Amino acid sequence: MKPRSSRALPGRGGVVPAGEYPDSAQDLPMAGPVLDIKDFSVVYRSPGADVRAVHRVSLALHRGEVVGLAGESGSGKSTLAYGICRLLRPPALITSGSVTYQGRRAGRPVDVLHLRAEGLQHLRWREIAIVFQSAMNALNPVLNVRDQLLDVMHAHLKLTREEAAEKAASLLDLVGIPRNRLRSYPHELSGGMRQRVMIAMALATEPEIVIMDEPTTALDVVVQRDILAQIAELKESLGFSILFITHDLSLLLELADRIAVMYAGQLMELGTAGEIQHEAAHPYTKGLLRSFPSLHGQRRELAGIPGVPPDLSSLPPGCPFLPRCDFGTAACSDIDMTMAHVRTSDDLTHLTACPFVLPDEQQPRADRTAATQAVEG
Amino acid sequence: MTSSVVESAAAARGSLAMQATSISKDFTLGRGAVLHAVRDVSLNLYSGAVVALVGESGSGKSTVARLLAGQERLTSGSIELDGHQVNVASRGAFRSYKRQVQMVFQDPFGSLNPVHKVSYILERPVRLHQHPAGKTELRAELLRLLEQVRLTPADKFLAKFPHELSGGQRQRVSFARALAAQPRVLLADEPVSMLDVSIRLEMLNLLDDLRKRLKLALLYITHDIASARYFADEVLVMYAGQVVERGPAEELTQHPAHPYTQLLVASAPDPDKLGTGLAAGSQPARRAESAAAASGCPFSTRCPLVIDRCRQENPALQPVSPARAAACWRLDIAAPETVAGQQERRKA
Repeated sequence: MKPRSSRALPGRGGVVPAGEYPDSAQDLPMAGPVLDIKDFSVVYRSPGADVRAVHRVSLALHRGEVVGLAGESGSGKSTLAYGICRLLRPPALITSGSVTYQGRRAGRPVDVLHLRAEGLQHLRWREIAIVFQSAMNALNPVLNVRDQLLDVMHAHLKLTREEAAEKAASLLDLVGIPRNRLRSYPHELSGGMRQRVMIAMALATEPEIVIMDEPTTALDVVVQRDILAQIAELKESLGFSILFITHDLSLLLELADRIAVMYAGQLMELGTAGEIQHEAAHPYTKGLLRSFPSLHGQRRELAGIPGVPPDLSSLPPGCPFLPRCDFGTAACSDIDMTMAHVRTSDDLTHLTACPFVLPDEQQPRADRTAATQAVEG
Repeated sequence: MTSSVVESAAAARGSLAMQATSISKDFTLGRGAVLHAVRDVSLNLYSGAVVALVGESGSGKSTVARLLAGQERLTSGSIELDGHQVNVASRGAFRSYKRQVQMVFQDPFGSLNPVHKVSYILERPVRLHQHPAGKTELRAELLRLLEQVRLTPADKFLAKFPHELSGGQRQRVSFARALAAQPRVLLADEPVSMLDVSIRLEMLNLLDDLRKRLKLALLYITHDIASARYFADEVLVMYAGQVVERGPAEELTQHPAHPYTQLLVASAPDPDKLGTGLAAGSQPARRAESAAAASGCPFSTRCPLVIDRCRQENPALQPVSPARAAACWRLDIAAPETVAGQQERRKA
């Protein structure tokens, strides 16, 4: 395994140094992102008013990179992930944007949003695989582990029965489940093992991108830690990119290269994990950082974010975070929510949707700070 | 194992409200198999103090809450409320016990009946436990309850159905429902783990505020040891039905003595370790999933410090500092700085 220091940070400068990926450098068609999402919007049609689930999101995933998508429930993070795989069904509707996939096997860039059924069948799982949140619901309860793995390979790979059977067994090795569990049914496995089976299924086709939708949320911390370490190990050895979706920002700070913070269907901030942690520019990110208790280090003052997320079917113009924002001004109600470079940052890829607040700005309203007391009592 | 090996860190906050002594619960699984869900757990709840019960799923922490709530029959041990032995054998006794001990559940989506309005959900416990004289009095009480959990304007919320509320608002209604009985003890089983991060803290602050104002004795059950650090006075760590370590929240989380507590603390996400924490190989691989040992120390199958003695004898809680105790044979290695560790070494 490569030491952590040689980790690629493709976010900076946009070009992946070829030396970072020794096994694949020669067949890298171009150095651009493996997945490029531009101006992507999704609405859910409903009789009253359309629900604007994802609004004009632009995000790139580079080769070998872990991008974390952080947001609360209803922020549109899962809709975005399923939308880019074209997995959404009506009443969901993609209303704008483009998704360009550029894999090593694909050769030419693929315009995902205009793919026909055949192309989609190839793209899904073969190129982009998803690990779903609830392993209990995502696995078929009446098929054993082996049959489910064979199913995937039958649908997406051209293998003989023997090859497929051998591969199923080696996939279990890969994720650390003993081979004698091949004939087990999902209910016979622990939660952690089920999640590992999900990961094995996602990796069966050696995809370029693995989208992980809260893969460890239902698990205990110790098991979660094990599985994340395993994912990191597999990522290093197999060289895929990860889009990691979670509501747990503290987890992302530790494992992601770059983090995108979503709120009310829009990107609020995008930056490296270090920038998000130490130089968070957007008030929502600042709020999130002050929301979770930390086990390590000094006790910090916790404040949380007052108020509740907005109703996506009747969003007022301007910044959706305004009603909960400590920094809010009159100008916020008609600003254009474009992601722009954080003025004080050296890194041109550190973007924020808030044009007013800078990383070093602290809470402006003294009265509110006093009201949001620490839990210390 | 006795209940008072050490002085509880929560005792300073108020008077003793509830005392559970060596409670155990076995479940029969059929064919003679028995699951020891809770083994010999002792804990005290004090008015105005928070005791946190931390453990992974299946560690028995919810069963402890159900035992304390009188919803499960004890296999052995005893529970006292204000110095009186708890008796919930008859319907009337159970009801009067419920007047003092209430529970809040994890899932605010599942714990509120979707076909009833908030007014009805709150009305029933108020009628049952407070016997209001008339309609005006009842309504005033409902409004007071909603204001207590900061659901304002209260009259607007009375007419709502659960599906019209957000997760945080629903959990507030569950709090209000529990408070309708005017309890002295509140057992909160993962009250915030289903909520969004930005809402969680507000809910914990609300609970904390209620604890202070109403002098509630609060049991906070969670799998998130970090929130226990901030919120609780005393933390009890459970593993496989047993308490393996207990002590003041800050001391226990910063200097865990038991190897399991150490594993829990090491596994919690640490934003200060940017990127490093995921480095594979830094954690004991796959040990997380071995089952608890049938004999000896339950953690012995996963413990890095295991010796033969651990597999044969189950260690009792022994003091490691004035307010802290841990159940481990290897405290001299696991927590060399602690009192017991020093004693062990002196003996050797």
